Amino acid sequence: MHMADALLSVAVGGTMYAASAAAIGYSIAKIKKDEFYEKKIPIMAVAGAFIFAAQMIDIAIPGTGSSGHIGGGILLAALLGAFPALLTISAVLIIQCLFFADGGLLALGSNIFNLGVIPCLFVYPLLFRPILKKEITPKAIWIASIAAVVVGLQLGAFGVVLQTQASGITALPFATFALFMQPIHLLIGIGEGIITASVLCFVYKMQPEILDRNTMLHESCSRDRDSGQEQAQGDESGARKKAPLGNLIITLAIITIAVGGGVSIFTSTNPTGLEWAIERTAGAGAEELESNEPLTERLAIIQETTAFMPDYDYRFAGEDGSLTGTSVAGIAGSILTFLLAGGIAWGISAVKKKRRSRAAAS
Amino acid sequence: MDIRNKISAIYSLEQLSAGNTVIHRLHPMSKLIATFVFIVTVVSFGRYEFGRLVPFIFFPTILMALSETPYIMLLKRVLIAIPFCLFIGISNLLLEQETAFVIGNTNISFGALSFGVILFRTYLCIMAVLLLAAVTPFNELALQLRRLKIPAVFVLMLEMTYRYIGVLFAEAASMRLAYILRSSGAKGVDIRHAGSFIGCLLLRSFARAERVFSAMKCRGYMIKTTGARRFKLRITDIFYCVLICFFCLLFRFIDAGGKLTVLEKIL
Repeated sequence: MHMADALLSVAVGGTMYAASAAAIGYSIAKIKKDEFYEKKIPIMAVAGAFIFAAQMIDIAIPGTGSSGHIGGGILLAALLGAFPALLTISAVLIIQCLFFADGGLLALGSNIFNLGVIPCLFVYPLLFRPILKKEITPKAIWIASIAAVVVGLQLGAFGVVLQTQASGITALPFATFALFMQPIHLLIGIGEGIITASVLCFVYKMQPEILDRNTMLHESCSRDRDSGQEQAQGDESGARKKAPLGNLIITLAIITIAVGGGVSIFTSTNPTGLEWAIERTAGAGAEELESNEPLTERLAIIQETTAFMPDYDYRFAGEDGSLTGTSVAGIAGSILTFLLAGGIAWGISAVKKKRRSRAAAS
Repeated sequence: MDIRNKISAIYSLEQLSAGNTVIHRLHPMSKLIATFVFIVTVVSFGRYEFGRLVPFIFFPTILMALSETPYIMLLKRVLIAIPFCLFIGISNLLLEQETAFVIGNTNISFGALSFGVILFRTYLCIMAVLLLAAVTPFNELALQLRRLKIPAVFVLMLEMTYRYIGVLFAEAASMRLAYILRSSGAKGVDIRHAGSFIGCLLLRSFARAERVFSAMKCRGYMIKTTGARRFKLRITDIFYCVLICFFCLLFRFIDAGGKLTVLEKIL
């Protein structure tokens, strides 16, 4: 479900970066309040590496040829607490992006948001923990895990749909895209939920102190019962704090809106590809368009250029065939460029090889 | 599944970063900035602007040749990332059937154009990121993150995660081997045993983390003092960074293909 660079626009990518950075910054600030936080770093790091190792194990899903693996947001949150889990997931995503080409550098913010912020900071405290509020039983763990993983993945997949649509890359209508993505991730979510639940049950049976110490499920239960309010905590110090989740959401919202707004103003004052497309499809040149069209039509075009999700009508603006000549030349030019780039690369390697063999000979 | 293959698959890219070419010797920050500028520029083009993207092929191709990175290794990783983009691309192909232009007797639809753009863009972006990883050691990249004011806690954890992957892979692989040997030719871990199997791996991992932390503390570890080799910014680093940025801006704002066709008309 990783978002790729190629499917994002700069505005959406930048906005998601800002949102994720804010969430990570907030989490770090939270963790640092714990005076033993240094001790947690290796555990968080190992948990991240564990996600990679667990992904390697192919779990046979009966009845299908496929195998499932854990993506881990909820599992990590249950083991480490919401804030450390977000950091761990972010580290995992950065490594996946750099070394496994899974996701992209610009899409990193978006991936951290969809796979980290949503499950760890929203679904975990709002859904997982309330289910385990009264008491921790295997049954409750099963229900909480499956529900939280499914909801987390659904929201994450929906995030992918929204971000792709907002970037204006796909021609898929919103509803079709969502109808395609959501059921697939429902199935994945159930599979992952089952695995998450069975792992948590096992850990609870073998070493309950891991769960308790890290997420303080028991403590948070009593606290929740006391205050009757949702508490977001990741620190072990046990200091009583009132609903910092609200602050987090507000901070996130402000930063997201500010950056998103800023970036979109910037991009709309610097007309990009759309204007080019209009120019191209409008006929021989943009000059005619500017001089002959009445003001209203020009305004319409400006609006189209700057619109969030413009209509695709501009493609039909001119089909007088004037594009044909330029396009053939364009394709020939493209092929030449590719050949040139390949040729240069080949030349460089050849020179390098020759120099190396000469060095070896002498 | 061979453990050694798996582990080497993880670290093969980073092993390349120990090389000593012109590109490897550049300042990591300069490479990081150049890669980021490149990706942002590539992504900023519209969905039908295939022609405008073409000149950007020079960056990964030349970088690859200069840094002596094997093409096959990068290509394999690019293929991993393709499926999702392929899905979006194919849906464009099916949905946008209006003709954009005609070559000979073949109609090229807008869908085909945007399909091409998505795939090409995926290729460019992924190559750029992989090349960054292949020419810059991970700890130096992490140091640059520190310089970008990303908190030490996070950067340290990132580095440790990366180092632990190999360790836990070996652990997981030996557990899996033991499981397979005792389950008379099972293809994978049965879902009924998934909980205890993965849970066991988890408990072992955590126990290991505790031991590692104790060992680190015994050797006088403090979070503030972790550091890596400091790079001096040289004139070539600045030159490289400026060159790439200039190249990106140039082809961002000047339509090289368009200029060519104008030239063609004049001739």
